[in-house]
Amino acid sequence: MLLRLLIPILIFIPLAILQLTVVPLISIDFIVPDLILILLVFFTLRNGQIYGSILGFLLGLLFDLVSGGLIGAAMFSKTLAGFLAGYFFSEKRVETNLDSTMFIVIIFICAFVDSLFYSLLASSETDITIINLFFEFGILPAFYTAAVSLPIIVFKPSNRII
Amino acid sequence: MKKIFKNLFENFKEYFLVVSLLIISLSILSLNDKPEIRKIKSYSFGTFALFNSLTSKAVDIFSNQNEIRELKKVNAELMLKVNSFREYGLENLKLKKMLDFKDTSNVPLVSARVISTLISKTQGNLIINVGSIDSVKTGMPVITDQGLVGIIVNVSKDFSLVRTLYNNNFKIAVRNQSSNVDGILGWDGIMLIIKNIPTTYEMNPGDRIISSDFSTLVPPQIPIGIIIKKENSVSGLLSNIIVKPFAEIRSVRNVFVMSIKPAKQIQVLESNILK
Repeated sequence: MLLRLLIPILIFIPLAILQLTVVPLISIDFIVPDLILILLVFFTLRNGQIYGSILGFLLGLLFDLVSGGLIGAAMFSKTLAGFLAGYFFSEKRVETNLDSTMFIVIIFICAFVDSLFYSLLASSETDITIINLFFEFGILPAFYTAAVSLPIIVFKPSNRII
Repeated sequence: MKKIFKNLFENFKEYFLVVSLLIISLSILSLNDKPEIRKIKSYSFGTFALFNSLTSKAVDIFSNQNEIRELKKVNAELMLKVNSFREYGLENLKLKKMLDFKDTSNVPLVSARVISTLISKTQGNLIINVGSIDSVKTGMPVITDQGLVGIIVNVSKDFSLVRTLYNNNFKIAVRNQSSNVDGILGWDGIMLIIKNIPTTYEMNPGDRIISSDFSTLVPPQIPIGIIIKKENSVSGLLSNIIVKPFAEIRSVRNVFVMSIKPAKQIQVLESNILK
C-alpha cells in the first residue's frame, strides 16, 4: 500500500507546480481544471476505494500545504472525491474505466463533488445561492476538469510505467 | 459481541475510514489560525515555492522581466502620487481642511514577482518571491501600478503568501472618492461587493473606490476599483455596489509590497480581521 501511494505522491510534485504556475494562465473566470483530482481519480480507479480515500486525504493535505490555501479544505474535498471515485472501481473493469468516456464521466462527478465541498468549506460567505453553488462552484469547474482529462484516454500511460 | 463489532468493521471499513479522515480534515480546518499551523504552512509553501519559482521563471523566459519590473515600479509610485493629487483636488473643491491628509507617495516599495497563484472561486492567494529577508512582514499591503492587490498573510524567509481581493476572507474598509461614503468591500465568490449601502447615499457607476481612512489593514487612499453597477435590494432601502478592481489580479506577474508597518496597538485590535 505504502509503495503504491508513493508513485502518485511523486507525480503530485510536478502536477502541483503546473497547477500553481501554468494552469492559472488558462483560467476562465476563476475556473481552472484540477490536475490533482485527475491524478487521484486515475489511481483510485486502479486501486480501489480505501486506497482512493487515503490518497485523496494525502494529496489534499499536500496541496493545502504547498498552495497556501486553508489547510483542511482540499483534504476534506479530495478525501470525499477519492471515496466517490472508489465506487467505480472494479478489478474486471479497470481498463474499460480508464479507456472509455466513462473515465470522463467519473472525473466530472468527482470534480463536481470536490469543487463543491472545497468552495463550501473555504468560503465565509453566507449569501451564495443554491444555483450559484451548483453551477458556478460545481458544474463549471467539473466540466473544465473533465475536458482537460480527455487526453488521458488517448495517451494513457501503460501498466508497466505506473 | 466482539465478533459482531469485527463483522461490522469488516463490512463497513471503507465508511469508517472515510468518516475518520473527514473528521481529521475538519479538525485541522478549525486549527488554521493556530500559530503552529501557520508556522508549518509558511515553511511548506516557502519550500515548495522554490520549485514554483523555477517554473515561473521558465514561463517568463521570453519577457525582459527586469525592465518590466522597473517600469512597473515607476508606474506604481506614479499611481500613488496621482491618487494623492486627485484627493487634494477633490478636497480643495469641497473646501475641506487638509491638515490631516496623509501622503502615501513616499512609501518604500519592494518589488516582487508572482511565482504561483491559487485560483479558486473562494480562495484567491498568490505566492511572491520576497520574504522576511527583504523585510516583508505580515499585514503589509500589496499593490500593482494600477491599484491594490491584497495583503501579506504569511511570510517565510524568501517567499510570502498574499491574500488577494478575490478571497472570501479578505474584507476591507473602502470609501467612494467622490461622495466620501464608506463601506466594507468583500468578495462573494463571483464579484467584489460593498453590501448594504443605503440607497439614498451617492454611489454611482463610474465612481472610484479607494481604501478608507478607517482601514487599518491598508493605508488610506490606495485605489481599489471602480463602481460598475448598483443593485437595489427588494425592500428598496439598501443597495449592493459592485466594484471592478483596477488591478488585473488574475493575471498579475509583478507586484509591489508597501513597506508599511501598522501601529502595534492597532494591529492587536485588528488581528481578528486578518485571521
